[in-house]
Amino acid sequence: MLNNAFLHFLTRMLYHQKNKHIGAILISILVIFLLSAVLFLSTSLQTRVQKTLKGQSDFTISRIQAGNSISIPYHWVDKVGALNGIESVVPRVHGRYFFTPKGKSFLIVGVDFFDEQNNKLLKSIVGTLDLKVFLKQDSMLVGSGVSTFLKQHYFKNTFTFKTPNGTFKEVHIAKVLSSKSNLFTNDMIVMPMHLAQEIFGMMENEITDITFNVPNDAEWDTVIEKIYLMFYDVRVVDKREIQKAYESLYNYKGGLFLVLFLVVIFTFILILYQRYSMVYSTERKEIGILRAIGWSINDILKLKFYENIMIVFVSFFWGVVLAYGYVFFLDAPFLSSIFLGEANLKNHVHFLPVIPFGLLGSIFLFYAVPFLAAVLIPAWKIAVTPPKEAML
Amino acid sequence: MNEILFSNEVIVYLLSETIIYGLLFLSFIVSLGILKSWNYENFNQKQFILENRSYLVESILFFTLILKVFLLPYFVYTIDNLSLLIPGAMCGAGVIEANSYGNPLLILKMIILFLSGLWFSINRLDLQKKSYPYLTIKLWLFVAIFFLLSIEYSLDIAYFTHIATETPVTCCSVLFSQVGGANGLPLGLTLAKLVWLFYLVYILLMLSIFLEKILLSVFTSALFAFIAYYAVVYFFGTYVYQLPTHNCPFCMLQSYYYYVGYLIWGLLFFSVYLIFNYGVMSYFFKTNFQKNKAMILSLLTAFVFVCSAYVILYYVRNGVFL
Amino acid sequence: MNVITIENMHKIYHENSTEEFEVLKNINLVVKKNEMVIVSGVSGSGKSTLLSLVAALEKPSSGKIIVLEELVSKLPDIHASKYRAKHIGIIFQNFNLLESLSVETNVMAPLIHSGLTFSQIEEKVQYSMKLASIEHKATQEIRLLSGGEKQRCAIARALVHNPELILCDEPTANLDKENTLKFISLLETLQELGKTIVIATHDPLFDTLTCVSRVIKMENGRIL
Repeated sequence: MLNNAFLHFLTRMLYHQKNKHIGAILISILVIFLLSAVLFLSTSLQTRVQKTLKGQSDFTISRIQAGNSISIPYHWVDKVGALNGIESVVPRVHGRYFFTPKGKSFLIVGVDFFDEQNNKLLKSIVGTLDLKVFLKQDSMLVGSGVSTFLKQHYFKNTFTFKTPNGTFKEVHIAKVLSSKSNLFTNDMIVMPMHLAQEIFGMMENEITDITFNVPNDAEWDTVIEKIYLMFYDVRVVDKREIQKAYESLYNYKGGLFLVLFLVVIFTFILILYQRYSMVYSTERKEIGILRAIGWSINDILKLKFYENIMIVFVSFFWGVVLAYGYVFFLDAPFLSSIFLGEANLKNHVHFLPVIPFGLLGSIFLFYAVPFLAAVLIPAWKIAVTPPKEAML
Repeated sequence: MNEILFSNEVIVYLLSETIIYGLLFLSFIVSLGILKSWNYENFNQKQFILENRSYLVESILFFTLILKVFLLPYFVYTIDNLSLLIPGAMCGAGVIEANSYGNPLLILKMIILFLSGLWFSINRLDLQKKSYPYLTIKLWLFVAIFFLLSIEYSLDIAYFTHIATETPVTCCSVLFSQVGGANGLPLGLTLAKLVWLFYLVYILLMLSIFLEKILLSVFTSALFAFIAYYAVVYFFGTYVYQLPTHNCPFCMLQSYYYYVGYLIWGLLFFSVYLIFNYGVMSYFFKTNFQKNKAMILSLLTAFVFVCSAYVILYYVRNGVFL
Repeated sequence: MNVITIENMHKIYHENSTEEFEVLKNINLVVKKNEMVIVSGVSGSGKSTLLSLVAALEKPSSGKIIVLEELVSKLPDIHASKYRAKHIGIIFQNFNLLESLSVETNVMAPLIHSGLTFSQIEEKVQYSMKLASIEHKATQEIRLLSGGEKQRCAIARALVHNPELILCDEPTANLDKENTLKFISLLETLQELGKTIVIATHDPLFDTLTCVSRVIKMENGRIL
């Protein structure tokens, strides 16, 4: 059936009629490019986030009043640590510092540099420091976004924070965090806990939340219950919830995009249908000739089908390759700002290539099904034209 | 529900199903028109147009059937992915059980594929003759298939819009378990008896096909499919997972097990389909399927081989059975 | 042996409408093997329609057409195409070649679905092009050929599958004197090879040829 002669004939025909198909191919490549770029981006981000979340502590306790977070007394740390099955209890101080003149904010994370870090990311940051030098004066580590921002505002080596008490605190910039972790650290400032407390006007015995691990999965629910029994105004968030929330978020963002993209797809179908009705009508004579010399309607349909399959594969290949280059080599300019949100500081993230095979299958189906459906009826119309009529 | 409907795979799947259904609906209308006025003895233009329209039905059915063959594993892949969003689900098994539409939907999909394949066999036969002798039969068959397709499409929508992401579902380890005295096996069989029955029915089936006993082949294949399903879930699957308590038809579709589930279920499904097709075509249309015999026998053997291989390899590596 | 048998055949266009037109009326015709039959008549007499009905390119409104013992008047498309691809070689007035493709590819076209291997097809294509004296232009695109060369390519395509029956519709209408004579000589060769040939033409040159078995005159859709 699909012998060499047929392929030979098909490729010859396609080659000589390439101009007719160029429009459809270009639109297809654009459609696939857009679709793939968004999906590659979101999958890469999702994978990265999930990986990082794995390195987070299992639980976070925060204290709530009227739906807002309030500070936790430091001595609660020991109370929590006393519970069975709980390990690595770490107090945290963090919050947003608003650089009011421009409305931008920094995420300040106060860390006890001598303590064991629950968070893998912080662990790696702290691990590379020469603590002696760092703690000699009031110092902080800043993310690349913060560093760029400060430089733009003529803060070279230090930055002066305004505290709620009306005082000013000058802090030395010890190091800029690696841009590799930009996804999380772009607007982050890591500093000793007492400094963070000072900047936020908090007392020494006040912290924002407590994190801890529970190695035995089976005990998670009992531990949560115990904590709620111990304190009446807390909220306990476990890692599973966060993972699911991120999963949903990226699912949602990706899905929302696809739903909007459906409009594009339907327009695409209409354009193709119109275009191929036109293209095929110019091929009427040729199809009529083929019918006259012994090609059946099925043979013509087969020809059209394989023609379209080849166009689909060529467009798919180029669309995906271009998207790959755009996302993973050029770091997706314009598109990344939509996903990462540029409301705060500008972020430059390098995306790691993560392409599950199923994703390519999904992209292929999303494009190929509408395409082939759109050209099916025009192809049939032309295949059944009586040869005599067609040849006139 | 929203998270489900915003999942990439679900959107792609539902889009494909919608487009397919749209085309098939058009086919349905055209088929009704043909059935109303078809008269092969007519020499007029109207009859000629009807003949051309029958090609449209054929093209649409060809395109949609090919797609549906791909969409069935894609559907399984989709629900497997959804297990990440649904609490309690570790694989597709939990997701399928998330509401009462899942299992009927899956079974209906398989029935539709069977009947569509049959349609193509009848179509091929019809086109070989010079007077379209089976045109009315095949179009009425399509009308029946379309009726099933409409149910399928409604079930698709109902299923995906009724998956709650708040309610935890049961995982396959509970659904298919044999612990605590629960026996998932049919007819009160023990595992050993099941395995014996599996191989015995396989041999019986091979013989009946080889000797071209049509009715016996069809009934034996149905029996074999039934036994094989339980054998794979409760025996062979445990060797795939290398865990005697892991009984699940879905987990083996995941990348962790090298997607072998697609191969195993695919081989079983395809061989049973071919036997069904061969049976119906031989019995009702008196066709001779000599050349298909070899293919059916090899597919069946391949299926049994793949299943047995896991058991044998495990024994060779570990010196014991599970 | 009868190659073509037509009994009581009528062809009506636009039946049951205001534009209804009976183009062929009560045609009865027999063509024997190896005959060269000329169907002559003015434009509009129904010659081309008669040929297209014999080739199963159209279906008659009533009557029977039997070609090579096959009832072609009511063949479904698949069978009609197979029949044409196996038994009929058609040479059209306007050549009807695929302009953007080469001579080779055009000549090959009828054999694509014949089930032959690529090398077998190539062999037949070469032989056919030689017979029609167009092999030296094998890779040339059709639109770059002259009228006579296009004609020879059309002939090569009509002969490549070794059909028993050759139908020519006004084959010399677009040829000059020299090419017309070349064409006639080729027809004589084909007749010697055992082919049955039917030519629809109003060129009076054909009426006087010795190789012509008989001339059928048509007027207003009837055979006179």
